[in-house]
Amino acid sequence: MSEKTRFMLALIAPAALVLVLFQIVPILTGGNASFRDWTLYDPKRTWVGLANYAHVLRDREFLAIVLPNTFGFMVASVICSLVLGLIIALMLNRRFAGRWLVQSVVLLPLMVAPVIAAIMIRWMFNDQFGVVNAVLEALGIAPLSWLTQRWTAFLVILLTDVWLWTPWFALILLAGLQSLPPEPFEAAQIDAASAWRTFRHITLPMLRPVIVVCVVIRAIDAFRTFDIVWTISGGGPARATEVFSIYAYVESFQFLNLGRGSAAAVIGAIIIVIFALALYRVLNRFVEVSR
Amino acid sequence: MTALTMEPAQSDGFFAALAPQGRRALFALAALAICLLFAFPVLWLILTSLRPGTGVYYVHRGTEFTLDNFQDVLSQEIVLKALLNSFVISTLATVLSLGVTATSGYMLSRFKGPIPNAWFSVIYLFRCVPYVAWVLPLYFVTRELDIFDTYWGLLLPHIAVHICFFSWIMKGFFDGIDPSMEYAAMIDGCSRWGAFWRVAMPAAIPGLTALAILCWLYTWNEFLFALILTAHETPILTVVMAQFVHELGMEWNLMSATAVIALVPALIVTLFGQKYVIRGLRI
Repeated sequence: MSEKTRFMLALIAPAALVLVLFQIVPILTGGNASFRDWTLYDPKRTWVGLANYAHVLRDREFLAIVLPNTFGFMVASVICSLVLGLIIALMLNRRFAGRWLVQSVVLLPLMVAPVIAAIMIRWMFNDQFGVVNAVLEALGIAPLSWLTQRWTAFLVILLTDVWLWTPWFALILLAGLQSLPPEPFEAAQIDAASAWRTFRHITLPMLRPVIVVCVVIRAIDAFRTFDIVWTISGGGPARATEVFSIYAYVESFQFLNLGRGSAAAVIGAIIIVIFALALYRVLNRFVEVSR
Repeated sequence: MTALTMEPAQSDGFFAALAPQGRRALFALAALAICLLFAFPVLWLILTSLRPGTGVYYVHRGTEFTLDNFQDVLSQEIVLKALLNSFVISTLATVLSLGVTATSGYMLSRFKGPIPNAWFSVIYLFRCVPYVAWVLPLYFVTRELDIFDTYWGLLLPHIAVHICFFSWIMKGFFDGIDPSMEYAAMIDGCSRWGAFWRVAMPAAIPGLTALAILCWLYTWNEFLFALILTAHETPILTVVMAQFVHELGMEWNLMSATAVIALVPALIVTLFGQKYVIRGLRI
């Protein structure tokens, strides 16, 4: 082994060790469980091959509700947070009185524990005691029971996710904006280009690499969202807002079928790996073309 | 560059057509709306924390305010213990995660070949695996290693979570640093470790600071791992807070008071750190 190889291995050794012990070993344990009948009734944990996978892939619940929910949530959440985050970043990139205050307020969601935010928002949308219905009533609009209908419950979850993650987009996009070179903007100003054209033809193309990274990272995270959905709706009403993490959790811990839950988790992981690779490719090509 | 080939704009659009005052008013209005949107749930949390237990259900109507909730939660031993634990875990997890991923990101940035490629593929792959696929087996692993419900039992999984993402970001930081300085140092007799530690690391400090702040906030607010990997010995703040409304009845006022207390360190970190985060996060 050359001295260079030894140096390379030494650099990644601590990270690799922790990764193997606390991520790869647990994942393989789960993978192993997905091929077994890992229920309370079967202490022997019989090897059942792909039966768990077949069950999940044939489950109408999984195909007709869980997958569309998961992808719908991912797309809606990423687009909303990206657009809102970009608007905020552009705003904060200007100089104005009180900018520091606006910036600090926008960063508030980063400081609150997501689970607490979710509990609080569930409370705000409570049909009897929630502030949202109180406001609606004051405005003369009939109050809604938000969390007992599929689409309103979905909307509340989406709103919470956008609220939590927009600051993250805004922060990274603002950092990107501030590192752009000033010359093209000066040139645009000399040419008397409008604000919109400057944005469309200069800011956006130059910011695209940052946007690509943001979107890929956030899309993966949105795909595997668990805690806020669990806290706000628990997948309800009647499993109508279940996303795929909740499905795996419910199968594992409520129906106590760890094998089936693990199979669902593995299927989800495969879908998101393929999706993330494809997304990265497509967005990257998009960047090349635009240059 | 696109800018040079662009013809001068004919119309300036709606925004520019407004008088300067009108434009300023519109801008201020937008800023106000955004502030309100992002501040409202937090303001509601603070308001709830100031209401007596009986007034919580009609927060928007009552006029009674009290600080008793804060006194109440701060006199509970478990809350104080959880505050200390969360602080220690967040700080240690930040230091250790950054230490481990700085070297890993440096390796990804500076070397080419099968080993870095393989490592990057592993990182990209495992970044995608959903938490539910490994949280429960992780419980068995920490049991097996006899570190369940201890600092290490929570710390090491937290570091594992950050390895993939942070290595990726760190690679970006080191990509932005010109390696010729390190080569110069090595020609002058510096070892590879010396070049990394004395030349590359100091140049990466803005990025490291940004990441440290985000890592600290993330760990301070993390819930799922804390819920599954700790019990009575090592109470963690987010779990204790959530328990106020899950297990011990619906004590919204106490949960909110604890959440407000938990917000203070996060607020301090963010207010002082935001400048460094924005300066450092240029990926």
